[in-house]
Amino acid sequence: MRKHTYRNPVGVSRFTGLLLISPFIIGMAVFMIYPFICSFILGLTDYDGIHPPEFTGLDNYRHMLKDRSFRNAVKVTVKYALLLVPMKLIVSLLTALLLNIEIKGIGVFRTAFFIPSILGSNLAVVIMWQYLFTSKGLVNQFLELAGASPVSWYGSPKNAIFIIVLLRLWEFGSTMIIFLTGLRSIPKELYEAAKVDGCGTFRAFFSITLPQLKNIIFINLILQTITAFQEFNAPYMITDGGPLKSTYTIGMLIYDEMFRYNETGYANAVSWALFAIIAGAVAVMYAVSSKIRRN
Amino acid sequence: MKNTFLKATALCCIFTLSACGKKDQTSSTAPDGKLDPCTIRFSWWGGDDRHEATLKAIELWNKMHPDIKITPEYGGWDGWTEKVTSQLSGGTEPDVMQINYDWLVAMSPDGKGFYDLNELKDQIDLSNFSDDVLSFGKVGGKLNAVTVSVTGRGLFYNSEVYCHLNAEYPRTWDDLFALGDKFGQNGLYPLDLDIQSGGTAWYLAIVYVQQKTGREFITMDGELGFTVDDIKTALDFYRETEDRHVIRTIRTRTDEDGNAALYQSQEFIGGNVAGVLEWGSSVGKYESVLPDGVLEAGPFITDENGNSGGWMIKPSMLYAVSKNTEYPDEAAAFINFLLNDKECAKILGTSRGIPASASAEQSLEESGMLTGLAQKNDAMLEKLDTITISPYMELSRMKEFYNTAIEEVSYGMTDTSSAAQEMYDSITTYLEKIKK
Repeated sequence: MRKHTYRNPVGVSRFTGLLLISPFIIGMAVFMIYPFICSFILGLTDYDGIHPPEFTGLDNYRHMLKDRSFRNAVKVTVKYALLLVPMKLIVSLLTALLLNIEIKGIGVFRTAFFIPSILGSNLAVVIMWQYLFTSKGLVNQFLELAGASPVSWYGSPKNAIFIIVLLRLWEFGSTMIIFLTGLRSIPKELYEAAKVDGCGTFRAFFSITLPQLKNIIFINLILQTITAFQEFNAPYMITDGGPLKSTYTIGMLIYDEMFRYNETGYANAVSWALFAIIAGAVAVMYAVSSKIRRN
Repeated sequence: MKNTFLKATALCCIFTLSACGKKDQTSSTAPDGKLDPCTIRFSWWGGDDRHEATLKAIELWNKMHPDIKITPEYGGWDGWTEKVTSQLSGGTEPDVMQINYDWLVAMSPDGKGFYDLNELKDQIDLSNFSDDVLSFGKVGGKLNAVTVSVTGRGLFYNSEVYCHLNAEYPRTWDDLFALGDKFGQNGLYPLDLDIQSGGTAWYLAIVYVQQKTGREFITMDGELGFTVDDIKTALDFYRETEDRHVIRTIRTRTDEDGNAALYQSQEFIGGNVAGVLEWGSSVGKYESVLPDGVLEAGPFITDENGNSGGWMIKPSMLYAVSKNTEYPDEAAAFINFLLNDKECAKILGTSRGIPASASAEQSLEESGMLTGLAQKNDAMLEKLDTITISPYMELSRMKEFYNTAIEEVSYGMTDTSSAAQEMYDSITTYLEKIKK
């Protein structure tokens, strides 16, 4: 009879365990680790995707430091992340608070709020955005009705980034669901006890809800920051990076270098730079928030 | 642990480099002169008119060759180059491809990027093409592709709007600017130029300077023919078209259309923008969104002395066979059908411009199909002293240089002198790099 120990509670052999996790390990090795390493190697080459690569050492990284497009893309991506992430967290949390109220048919609302997230930035959304934000679009028509001047959305280098941010902000479903899960795991007794002690709704939010959600907020912050830094699809579909490259993110730069200009080596080097930027940003967030999360 | 990591890295390097080196070792399947049952993938870009015609042509092929099935892969131009580039990088490209002229320089600079069609002469009747036309598809002594049609960009106008304003199509540059004033009074525009994938803004500016100076912008062997002053003149010309209300500013255009192509824009469909500069082979998509007969071909603009030089032509598109195809004979036979078959020519009509193949052109002429905007445009072009576009001119990176300069000038971010100097330096450096 197989001996059940603390380390091996179900009594399977080491081989069986390895066998069971092997699909994940193999998948990760083949589809993540291998391309990851290959990408680093290609980043050290001059490679057009068609002819064999030529080793050029750190030339691509040196070029990156001088490349105006790269510097602009970093600036745009950071600006985009700084605009989007805090707004998305606030909107998601407020919506989650509303959807946490137990009323009849709340499931319908929860589903409805999640729907935009599954649309992504496909063609239908692109057309809808054109109906909304072009000069004769719905938003400007409403503004004019309200007596305000119409706004240049697509054509203004200052405003174009906002229509991308608004698209992603509208797609807050997954962030909201994580908040909702967190809200539902807060013990109701805490609110009941607070109420008995005369605590109001706002005080309860700041003294109970937010502290209880701090880890969830942090997870969402990390996930949304990573997603924002990797943004490609929305600016590619909605503005094509313009005008004047004001919505040209690092993701778009990688795509253009790789597929439009056949600079595969440089595109891989920029991918690694993006990886370093994201890793750096996440590390800073961990360091800054560690004390808050411990308390 | 450290050792294991080092071994793993070394293994990856070996796989990566061997994978990269593999392509050069790939040898093409030799032709055997027979047509065997198989499935061939065929890809093209275009508008709906071209898609519909091509699908009907494939139906005819299937009736004639039920054992050689054609799998169509098609879409719009935007993003098409990127799609095919990634297919070629991964060795997953279709057997037969409609390719753009500059792809030969970008994807097959030594002639080894596509199948050498000289080896497939038994299947493709090349006698229907003149030597000049065939030379467009030759790289490094290899026939990489066969030209489908030769075309040039021409001016097409919304006749209803012009008629309504009692305006005539412009014959000289002065006429064009005068039209801007006239249309401007009505809040309309006589023409549209873009910095999207079409890049017509820079195209018309080049024509203007080429006509004025007689110098080619980029020569066939990839040398920059313009001086800094020429580039500045071109940028000044562009700015004047905006200032004189000939075209919308880039800001207005972007605000009104978003990221949509002109033929999908309400401004064009509704007649607020009443002209377009387009390839004769691709004008169908503009024609189809307006009522029948409303879009008309206008004359090619000349200077005040009647000098009509500077306008350009190029192979509108070419057919190439993948160097990795397992069915070279069958792919070549299909290309021959598309290019030379008389019934197929009738089905395709002028959806890819006026056919370069004498056989297809004759078929269209006999059946009275050699009509329409593409034909009118090409007939007018034939009378001009045209310049053949250098394949280097259309490379994506080059377009980026032109469009960046035009956009910065349009938004007033820079003056035309600085933009011209920057464009000159960027183009010179890039051309030196790619010709190494």
